[in-house]
Amino acid sequence: MEKKKVRITFQPSGKTVKVDKDTTLLEAGAQAGVYISSICGGDGICGKCRLIIKEGNIKANPTTLLSREEIQKGYVLACQTTAEGDLEVEVPAESRAEREKILVDKDAQRFRALYPQAREKVFFKYEPLVQKLYLELPKPTLQDNLADHLRLYREIRRKRKIPIMQSGLKVLRILPKMLQESKGKMTATIGMRGETTEVIQIEEGDTTEESYGLAVDVGTCTVVAHLVNLNNSETIDAEATYNSQRVYGEEVTRRIIYAELKGPDKLREAIVNDINNLISTLISRNKIKLNDVMALVCAGNTTMVHLLLGLDPSQIRREPYIPACTSPPPIRAAEVGIKINPRGLLYTLPSISGWVGGDITAGILATGINEAKSLTMLIDIGTNGEIVLGSKEWMVCCAASAGPAFEGSGVKHGMRAAAGAIEKVKIFSDGKVKYSTIGKTKPKGICGSGLIDVMAELFKAGFINRSAKLNPEASSQIREKNGEVEFILVPASETQISEAIVVTRADIENLIRAKAAIFAGADILVKSMGLEIKEIEQLYLAGGFGNYLNKEKALVLGLIPDIAPDKVQFVGNTSVMGAKMALLSREALERSYEIARKITYYDLITNPGYMDEFISAKFIPHTDLTKFPSLAKKSKEEIRK
Amino acid sequence: MIIPDVKQKWANPINTVAIGAAKEEGGTRASTINVGGVTTLPFLHFEGEIPHRPVVAMEILDIVPEDWHPLLSKYFSDVWDNPGKWAKKCVEEFGADLICLRLVGCDPDGKNQGPEEAATAVKSVLEKTGVPLIIWGCGNDDKDNEVLPKCSEVSAGERCLLGSITENNYKTLVALCKADGHKLIAESPVDINIAKQVNILATDLGLDAEDIVIYPTSGALGYGIEYVYSIMERGRLAGLSGDKMWAMPILCDIGKEVWKAKEAIVSQNEVPQWGEQEERGPLWEATTAYVYLLAGADILIMRHPKAVKEVKKYINKLIV
Repeated sequence: MEKKKVRITFQPSGKTVKVDKDTTLLEAGAQAGVYISSICGGDGICGKCRLIIKEGNIKANPTTLLSREEIQKGYVLACQTTAEGDLEVEVPAESRAEREKILVDKDAQRFRALYPQAREKVFFKYEPLVQKLYLELPKPTLQDNLADHLRLYREIRRKRKIPIMQSGLKVLRILPKMLQESKGKMTATIGMRGETTEVIQIEEGDTTEESYGLAVDVGTCTVVAHLVNLNNSETIDAEATYNSQRVYGEEVTRRIIYAELKGPDKLREAIVNDINNLISTLISRNKIKLNDVMALVCAGNTTMVHLLLGLDPSQIRREPYIPACTSPPPIRAAEVGIKINPRGLLYTLPSISGWVGGDITAGILATGINEAKSLTMLIDIGTNGEIVLGSKEWMVCCAASAGPAFEGSGVKHGMRAAAGAIEKVKIFSDGKVKYSTIGKTKPKGICGSGLIDVMAELFKAGFINRSAKLNPEASSQIREKNGEVEFILVPASETQISEAIVVTRADIENLIRAKAAIFAGADILVKSMGLEIKEIEQLYLAGGFGNYLNKEKALVLGLIPDIAPDKVQFVGNTSVMGAKMALLSREALERSYEIARKITYYDLITNPGYMDEFISAKFIPHTDLTKFPSLAKKSKEEIRK
Repeated sequence: MIIPDVKQKWANPINTVAIGAAKEEGGTRASTINVGGVTTLPFLHFEGEIPHRPVVAMEILDIVPEDWHPLLSKYFSDVWDNPGKWAKKCVEEFGADLICLRLVGCDPDGKNQGPEEAATAVKSVLEKTGVPLIIWGCGNDDKDNEVLPKCSEVSAGERCLLGSITENNYKTLVALCKADGHKLIAESPVDINIAKQVNILATDLGLDAEDIVIYPTSGALGYGIEYVYSIMERGRLAGLSGDKMWAMPILCDIGKEVWKAKEAIVSQNEVPQWGEQEERGPLWEATTAYVYLLAGADILIMRHPKAVKEVKKYINKLIV
């Protein structure tokens, strides 16, 4: 019997798709190109994929994640609902995982501003991975009778010291004719492929003016691309988007499971598409030809790189956590489907282990921990919190599974650092709230830095206690709705999403878990080296928080170790920074391999003390106040008052 | 051969908690009890001070128990319709150091008695006995917060031990202890960190650390006892090493756990090879208690008179 097809229309975009009757609305959305938020990837446990049924009949599995009022208004969970007939549904603002650009131009500038700061600290020889060289080849004679390709190599070697050179058949085929027609005046593009240098392409005349590359941070949640002029190392523009693999699961493990069940192709296509969209936006906005983009360097966690290259990630999630490859060689970008110059190269920064990826190698490169004279720590807060500790003598790292709370997922009104996200918050003891949003628009949700502020402010105002429980009696702004206690941050009338922006008891629990996981990782790493927190001379805090992070508040919460604020520096997205450094300097790329080789991975998953440390860190700031001497002193003073 | 000196000097003594107030202290108790104060691990007399011996509290209920085993009912059924008489029998006949009154009757899923009935039970125990009293709620947070204030009020000044606070419900009880001069049981789910966290929450509200007894949750022999043991041992080591939030005496609630275990309640007919149940039941309870004594328990709550007798004998042997 043929399956009955139904037509589903998604509002407000109006996109329509015909699907089998037993297809869930979440899958239908993916097929229609309507992206709907989902953390659990369709298991019906995250409650993020909310839709409103406008017309038509549905069949839905029961859920506890919707309130009675919501069900009456027509809300359903997309992953738990199938259509009985033709259907019209609305994707409410909070469920829209938008594909459009999420960081406005102003944000792009702010990302860019971080780079020179890092460059001052770490010096590498300026030598882009891909370069264009203008050559004038002398005409062959009976005495100078070298073959055309050797003549080309000789000319290149006059300009650059290159021991091993190669070129593809395509180049050799067009070389003789081009030499005759251009009278030897030509531009060769050379690219580094390990010890070998490849002549990637040849062009008539001098085209050296137009030479571009891309640095890309392939994050679990967001993908950030910087367009770089390879002639002068200038960052021309930056662009970011959500990683559209999100519909297959918000967390890394979920995506590995999806790849195992359904094959890795869909995931590869999703991320390649995202990167291609970023590239086409960047080049059209800056009036650059696709052919003049010769290289891109990607930094991402080990699984993201596996999925980008179409490698099998399945063993990363199983003991003993072995990745297929930690240092993929440079390849032709076109091989994975990335659209730049068809012969352009794709580099990926080397990973350290299955759970500490090239984004961290990039972070070390960008912050220069591998050159540091004194003890330095890097905490990169993402879906996994990675921590690096060390100096130029030695380095260790670990990954703590924090969950995506600080990236805005798993939090009712959480969102990424994009326009409309609340990034700064002040809460007064009478429950009044002052906040500011990215882009100065009406708020739509809260991003990571806003969430850190909210937690610290709720604590300071006395609305949550040290085990982070909201106290319903503490303020009239705390209400109980549908059995959930929540703090009203912004009333419905001031938001973009037609409901109040709140922080619930469950949100706070998720955030506390995330902070506890990160701190416990940092603490164990320090202890395992026989050191103490107070010996740390410099702490770098990295992550996609956007542009702002309040160090004092991160400390009040116990998210970061107790270190003098002047030793703590917020460094933003170090993944894209490191990728860019590698793009611009062969030496930096080589250094990244050295970093990945040199660093020791410390496994928290099998560490018997981790759970203990985690539970004791699930407290504000910590169960053991001796770990936070500066706060212990303060709280005593407060009690005296 | 010279035997090396293995004595350790610990940084911090365990707090001494005084339970029960005599007339001159504002109460009416004929006897009072101090627990804790040790400066060494359990029973290491050669190493440090053990100023106060572990004590045994016998458990009674505010209502007639519905599910107590016949091995227990044969000792108590003549008196258990009256908490005062029941308590008196425990003290006078079976040598209980304290009485633990558990307000099972208040449970909203059971008899759902109110604050007045609970307070009457408390009063009658206080009148009929001269030993210190432990008052333990029914375990339903909302109901306990409603019932215990009245119980605390009628026993004000008697320096009872009130239980129990948890991470999620502590404010009412902490306030009562401060107002009426009682001591507090801080409960945690076999977790070394959460035990500390509960103590921090209580002391943050202004209660003295010296007013708290830790209840790390107990299990019967054969039911995870080694897990509780290691948590107690680690906690005590932390306390002796200077961690103020673990420097409290420890309470173990044994009777309740043992008299659910099949080794105690299954008859000889069912499992002949396990031997005489009359012996086996109390032995199981006593053995569980021995283990906790070695882990550092200061207060044991027990049910069977024979087990109580054996454990007290054992304590006498260990305390010189």
